[in-house]
Amino acid sequence: MVKREEENMAIIVEGRGMALVILVLSYILFYVFMYLGRKGREIPVRTLPPMAAIPEGIGRAAEMGRPVMFTPGIAGDLNDPTQGPQVLAAISILGYIARECAKTGVKLDVFMPIPTALPLTEETLRTAYMAEGKPEEFSPDMIHFIAEQSPYLTAVLGYFQRERPATNFLIGGFYYESVVMGEAGNAIGAFQIGGTANIHQMPFLVATCDYMLLAEELYAAGASISKDPDILGCLRGEDIMKFILVALMIIGFLLGFARVDILVKALGW
Amino acid sequence: MSEVLRREVVYLITAITTIIMFVEFFFIGTWSAAEELRTWAIIIANIALGLGAVRLLAEHVRNIQRRRAGVWPFSIWLIILFVVMFLSGLTGYAAKHDPSSNPVYNWLFKWPYTSLGQTLYAITGFYIFSAAYRAFRARNIDAALLLIAGCFVILTNATVGEVIWSGIPVIGRWFLDYGQVPGMRCFLIVAAFGMLAYGFRALLGRERGFYGEVAGE
Repeated sequence: MVKREEENMAIIVEGRGMALVILVLSYILFYVFMYLGRKGREIPVRTLPPMAAIPEGIGRAAEMGRPVMFTPGIAGDLNDPTQGPQVLAAISILGYIARECAKTGVKLDVFMPIPTALPLTEETLRTAYMAEGKPEEFSPDMIHFIAEQSPYLTAVLGYFQRERPATNFLIGGFYYESVVMGEAGNAIGAFQIGGTANIHQMPFLVATCDYMLLAEELYAAGASISKDPDILGCLRGEDIMKFILVALMIIGFLLGFARVDILVKALGW
Repeated sequence: MSEVLRREVVYLITAITTIIMFVEFFFIGTWSAAEELRTWAIIIANIALGLGAVRLLAEHVRNIQRRRAGVWPFSIWLIILFVVMFLSGLTGYAAKHDPSSNPVYNWLFKWPYTSLGQTLYAITGFYIFSAAYRAFRARNIDAALLLIAGCFVILTNATVGEVIWSGIPVIGRWFLDYGQVPGMRCFLIVAAFGMLAYGFRALLGRERGFYGEVAGE
């Protein structure tokens, strides 16, 4: 009877209580460090080699007189809660790539297979070219929209053979096209920068690309370029949460030896 | 609407939507607003799909009118197939509420489209093979360790490994269960935190990248 009353009093969905606590704790840490960052506290962050290599890749294309290709893969429909954010992060990086291309006059071709991300891509490119004072160099034709995986992949492979881009950016959420495009890019001698948080495709991009943004690096790439205190603050918060989780794992490991399941029960709350 | 106001509206909609979804996920109670939002998302996506189809046709009609070099014959082909698929699917739906009940629609989808897709998918094996060849070159100690682990895993999956030596599948499975799984979970957790932070910045309107603004400004 008492238990039933307790169940009726519950306001949090069973099994999600601890997730809520971790989420709120993360948000508090993110906010505190974002605040401190804005107040001028220095948050050191290492330069991500793939981001540092972007100008190098675009410079290479300028020297060779060939285009640069960017594609976010087909996995990340914006409605997808795990893959969608990868595409959003990739489009942020695309903005930076577009600015560098606008500066150097390098032709940029974007293969965008995700219909929901198409308007955002167009807006990002337009803004990038405007920011560099070259709005006339932006054209919607630089975005190649090909829906469906096989036609998209075929189009990219054909493009590689015809245009032979000097640099490829394979950044976003990918399915099996990652290895096909990565290898085909290698075959034409392109300099390649990859990036994904999709654990199944990471090995393929690592094997085929010269530089790689792994997992959270994809989301933190902006910090490496802009030193934005908001992103840097979040990175510091993420690091602290990782330490907390590692500590929980070690404690759970030791409690498991002692056959004490208090932590397991708490996590299942 | 000014640019600033337009941006603020986007921030506001993002924040409200996130909060509604957040509350629905964690708290008990029928939260009809979240359900409503999901329905709106489907409706908006479908309207966008219709608009996309119209724009696609307009673009290809323009290619044909201008005789755009190297493109216009393909534009004709695209329009023909678009019309055939659209009409056959529509008649199938009108007859039995199922587009694939129309034999033309069914044939086009089942034989040309699926076969071509499967063919492309099948060649992935060759690409994986050549990528593995590159990755498995023992250039340094890390790559050498990868090569050793990779050989055991390949021989485990190829079954011939067990014929060569019964210990190979045991070692291969050890690499898969105790080497690969923890590593992958580590990336999964780290990526989840990255996504969490990204979502938090979006909620506060401090993630500017996906509003069409540019990183590095």
